[in-house]
Amino acid sequence: MAAPLEVRGLTKRFGSTTAVEGLTFAVPAGRITGFLGPNGAGKTTTLRMLLGLVRPTNGEALVDGQPYRKLADPVRSVGAVLEASSYHPGRSGRNHLRVLATAAGIPTARADETLAQVELSSPARRPVKTYSLGMRQRLSVAAALLGNPSLLVLDEPANGLDPEGIRWLRNFLRSFADGGGTVFISSHVLAEIAQLADEVVIIHKARLVAHEPLAALTGRAAGATIVRSPDAERLGERLAAAGIDATHTDGGFRATAPPERVGEVAAAAGIVLHELRGESASLEEVFLELTGDDEEGEEE
Amino acid sequence: MRLVNAELLKLRTTRLLLWLGLLILGLEILVITIHAFQDSLDSLAGPRQQRDVVSIAAVSALISLILGIVASAGEFTHGTIGQTFLVAPVRERVLGAKVGAAAIAGAALGLASCAFAWGYAALLLRSRSVPIHLASGASLRLVLGTALAAAFTGAFGIGFGSLLRRQTAAIVIALVWLLVGEPLLGVAHVDRYGPGHVVASLFEAGNQGSDLLAFGAGIGVALVYVAVAALLGGSSLRRADIT
Repeated sequence: MAAPLEVRGLTKRFGSTTAVEGLTFAVPAGRITGFLGPNGAGKTTTLRMLLGLVRPTNGEALVDGQPYRKLADPVRSVGAVLEASSYHPGRSGRNHLRVLATAAGIPTARADETLAQVELSSPARRPVKTYSLGMRQRLSVAAALLGNPSLLVLDEPANGLDPEGIRWLRNFLRSFADGGGTVFISSHVLAEIAQLADEVVIIHKARLVAHEPLAALTGRAAGATIVRSPDAERLGERLAAAGIDATHTDGGFRATAPPERVGEVAAAAGIVLHELRGESASLEEVFLELTGDDEEGEEE
Repeated sequence: MRLVNAELLKLRTTRLLLWLGLLILGLEILVITIHAFQDSLDSLAGPRQQRDVVSIAAVSALISLILGIVASAGEFTHGTIGQTFLVAPVRERVLGAKVGAAAIAGAALGLASCAFAWGYAALLLRSRSVPIHLASGASLRLVLGTALAAAFTGAFGIGFGSLLRRQTAAIVIALVWLLVGEPLLGVAHVDRYGPGHVVASLFEAGNQGSDLLAFGAGIGVALVYVAVAALLGGSSLRRADIT
């Protein structure tokens, strides 16, 4: 069975500028995959190639095993959230959705249902030009939900949302994935992705630099162990004797060995432990480590 | 058909049609009022003269051209083209639907324009006790020609707007062509084949002294213009990266 989203050797050049270079990854079904990269890394271009809006120079971008343009009923397969500014300012939010529903052959009553779903029913008949950025984002999400798709592709959906809106989005996406849906979400808010994503794809300077489960990525990036014992002095001696560097922390040590090795040393000496865990790096730390310090300035 | 319905719904859910309709009404009121009160009673009495009074309704063909351009290039201006292509990723189908919708809307605009012009002219002529001959063959040919012309210009505007993808530029270029470019074709005596003259041949059919194409030939050449604009616009859309 084909992955909900897959890119193979995806490359896009705009003139002499390479926006995406040889990108290959697949997004697994039923999970939330975060798509991260500094500004200008090629995230939006990649998403737009997946959605058939930008033509790849080389390679292919597939949805359910085929190019987006060949999907028989794309709105029922994929819900996409693009920029919040892509509306006719004089058209109401409700009419915007009715137009999309009509084009997709979906009953226009579905527009009211999705507006209620994103809690946008009361301003629905007002022109979009009177909406806040957050309201426009919710309208984008409503548009993505029109066809009850099993896959959501979202480009910076939290932009402009207030904390309550961000929480709503997080809960919504989590319940969508728990119900078997697949989410591919790009964001520059790393804390958001850290709370939400099961997997992450990180690109930098147009190329893939990481694609793995979030826990594995943050765990692998660290490698140290936090250990606490009521017999800290003896534990310190034993770790030193075993050739493991250990520095004192509050009530314990930070040892430069995996938890399994530290636990074995403590067990061999009959030392009671109150805490033994691998130290995780934050997503932000991993991201900065993978993308270096040159993420500023470029606009996508 | 659902794409055509969606495109018609787009047109109905903004104020574009309202403003363009008001523009037509304003022009009609101005021109018909001047005719009705400045022309002599004799010059208003005949069917052909009365047909000339209401011929301002044909301005709807020009307004329909603007409607078509805005309906296509405006999607790029507002950035809505991305969502349009997400729903209907085969771009040629979107273009075809837009052409159909603009032709329908243009014809409707032309007919509404004629209806108002006839009603308003009848009102003013009656106020001057002029016998009404607005149901003459010449007048009815004007109605048919105006509706057809507005349908063609609306459809042409879609192709032209899709080709340029810049709303203001497309409107300005179209107007400059009609006002400056096309008259220059007269130097080589080929102006009757220019798009503006071809469209005029539809509503000026049978008019005395006309140096335009015959009605049937006008329809044929207008169809060629619409087809060429749609092909060029479609080619441009197919290659466009929606960034």
